Amino acid sequence: MSRQSAFSLEGVTKKFPGVRALDKASLDVRVGEVHGLIGENGAGKSTVIKVLAGVYQPEEGLVKIGGKTLSQVTPDTVHAEGVRFIHQELHLVPHFTVTESVFLGQELSGRLGLDTKAMREDTEAFLHDVLGVDIPSNRLIRDLTTAERKLVQIARALIDDAAKVVVFDEPTAPLASDEIETVMSAIRRLKEQDIAILYVSHYLSEITDICDRVTVFRQGKTVGVFDNITNQSGGDLVYAMVGRDIADMFPAKVDRATSPGLEVVGLGDGVSFEDISLNVEKGEVLGIAGLIGSGREELIDTIYGLRKAQTGTFQLEGEPLTIKSAAQAVSAGIVLVPRDRRHDGLVLSMTVTENATLATLNQNASLGIENRRVARERTEAQIMALDIRPPNPDAVTRLLSGGNQQKVVLARWMAKAARVFIFDDPTVGVDVGAKSEIYQLIDDLATGGACVIVSSSDPVELQGICDRIAIMMRGKIIGELQTRHLSVDELVSAITGAKEIENSTYAD
Amino acid sequence: MIWAMLQRFGFLLVFGAFFGLFAAWNPVFLQGGNLLNVIEGSAVLMIIALGMTLIVATGGIDLSVGIALDFGAAFAVVAMKSYGMDWFGATCAGLIGGSVVGIFNAILVIGLRISPFLATLSTFFIGSSVQRIFTNGGGPISHRRMPEEFRNLALGDIYGVPTEAVIATVLVVVYFLILERSIWGRRIHAMGMQRSAAIVAGIQVNRILIMCFIAASVTCAVGGLIAAANIRMFTPLSGFSYLLDAIAAVFIGAALNARGRPSVLGTVAGVLFLSIVANGLNLMGLNFNTKDALQGIILVSALALAVAQQRARHNFAS
Repeated sequence: MSRQSAFSLEGVTKKFPGVRALDKASLDVRVGEVHGLIGENGAGKSTVIKVLAGVYQPEEGLVKIGGKTLSQVTPDTVHAEGVRFIHQELHLVPHFTVTESVFLGQELSGRLGLDTKAMREDTEAFLHDVLGVDIPSNRLIRDLTTAERKLVQIARALIDDAAKVVVFDEPTAPLASDEIETVMSAIRRLKEQDIAILYVSHYLSEITDICDRVTVFRQGKTVGVFDNITNQSGGDLVYAMVGRDIADMFPAKVDRATSPGLEVVGLGDGVSFEDISLNVEKGEVLGIAGLIGSGREELIDTIYGLRKAQTGTFQLEGEPLTIKSAAQAVSAGIVLVPRDRRHDGLVLSMTVTENATLATLNQNASLGIENRRVARERTEAQIMALDIRPPNPDAVTRLLSGGNQQKVVLARWMAKAARVFIFDDPTVGVDVGAKSEIYQLIDDLATGGACVIVSSSDPVELQGICDRIAIMMRGKIIGELQTRHLSVDELVSAITGAKEIENSTYAD
Repeated sequence: MIWAMLQRFGFLLVFGAFFGLFAAWNPVFLQGGNLLNVIEGSAVLMIIALGMTLIVATGGIDLSVGIALDFGAAFAVVAMKSYGMDWFGATCAGLIGGSVVGIFNAILVIGLRISPFLATLSTFFIGSSVQRIFTNGGGPISHRRMPEEFRNLALGDIYGVPTEAVIATVLVVVYFLILERSIWGRRIHAMGMQRSAAIVAGIQVNRILIMCFIAASVTCAVGGLIAAANIRMFTPLSGFSYLLDAIAAVFIGAALNARGRPSVLGTVAGVLFLSIVANGLNLMGLNFNTKDALQGIILVSALALAVAQQRARHNFAS
């Protein structure tokens, strides 16, 4: 069965300073199929969506829709060709009704202004006939479940009946597990109406469930196109996604003497996760794995005092500990290298010295007046030790590359001589060279007797640097894996729910 | 070439040009006595603008600086008039009066999480009303027989330099050390620039914010003491007239700053600019009604060049 192509990207290259986000990537989605797009973080999935949306202009390559090459790819031309995007975020106004939300910006007007009746009828008909659900059109968005909101978002994109291609970006990420089927069956109905669907998701179980064909990206390249997807395809997809040439990026695994470190018991924030118990010993690197929406990010924020805990207790080296603010965590010796370093990690307009000394200002001051010479000298020593480039203590951190910015954050915490280091997605947006340096630094910290927690969306990274990995899914820890004899495939299977964890070492 | 020069030193050039114009128009402008007058006359604005600089540096704004000034003046005058306190007791009472305003702001901003703009605006409304109620509709409370020492806050001099100018200068130095040279200043600037990053770095942003609101209002109360000493009375709502000038001075200073940040030296430049232009235009004998417009035009042109200057510097750097 060879249907015609609905849209395709051919040989697309998109460069950003220091990285090739897309490297002659191609993608072909046919009419009436659900086509999966998978790859690890940084593989180029979101870049390809933005190229297709006309947000990024590629350096090379063609975008074809319905067999004809678009000479100009802009948000307007793409929309005119019938390409619609269902973004991960809902972007709905809570106080609008369903009808108002669906027709926002594309209102129907009659002779006397807005034709509310027609809009109401169209909305209900569309939801019923096309998506197969009945949602009262005068209901307020804030009273809908998340899945219903997702459907409203879909209706909004498709109500004009001109859609030929629909791109779903992580459509189930915010959904609870029993809500997923609602959205999935709506997608199946769309497919029956000969709409081409590109389905981007981290959840491999969903991909094998709903997709007819799958394209796999790795480091900006198309590394595989799978034509016959069945429920058994998970393993092949993981293999293609992960690749095999990265093992030597990581420091060798050694046994380190350990002693009691940070212990978290029964932690819950009442919203995103509950009853989380973790234990990371001194000299150990504990990984936390979990997809978007698993509560992993919220857990890290709560341990660091950025979010309020509803339940749970902390112990550090056997002593009970209260963490209600980041300042408390820091003074107890717990420090965070945050996932969004440009927002939370660094004060971007400040210099390397100012950022690196921000947590240890007392050490470089007398009577509260800062001794800038001392601060500068200490920072110079750290620039040498961590190989921060350019080696200029007065450089404004905004202008540094991702990897060097991350090293400045690390320099700040190393000056603090912290006992527990939490890394949240430490290498997102970091080039390969700096990545491996950061892994070495993490390893050195553990060897030096610190407790290290690495929360990451990158399974290769987790398998490479951690001693143990706790797997989170939908707000709970579903198991713990020792990494010594763990393959990345097994880890990915566990994270994505493709396979249940068998020999769970999760102790309570 | 000339354009590049103009861009880089634009603000100074405009300022210099007007300085020359004022001097040429009326020789009195350049006389020592006049310039000293300008400085003495801008002491209270300078003090208020310092308080404002501190709050703007934290990333907020304080619309209640005038209220803090009024409370400072009112508490001091009432302390002397009704309770017979000496100058020292009255000064303490005034500073406490100012701190009430700061504490109230801190409760609104930190306790109730209202944005500084709306919180201090509420303080401004409430504080204005309290003054009217207290004075039965806004009549001044005069105290002709003020202790000599208290009056000297405004009228005295120290080795020939007017006391109020000395007080303002001391405060400028203290503020400079704290905001631009101390570890607390570093933290204040960090939270003002990027609050979330400051929190992750373990900075106690709420504690700093509380201290800043109190410090700013106490500083403004010092301005209130001088104002009360000067006219030997408390005039309700008189602090309001300083609000817009103080904001202008702080943001002129920020426009001159390499990082676009409020800074103590920038604020000093802003206050002097405003005061000198006002004085110069006065001496030109212009119509009262055209004066404000001219002042605005001068301000806009100087700031436009300051922005161009910053852009030039930025291009140069990158």
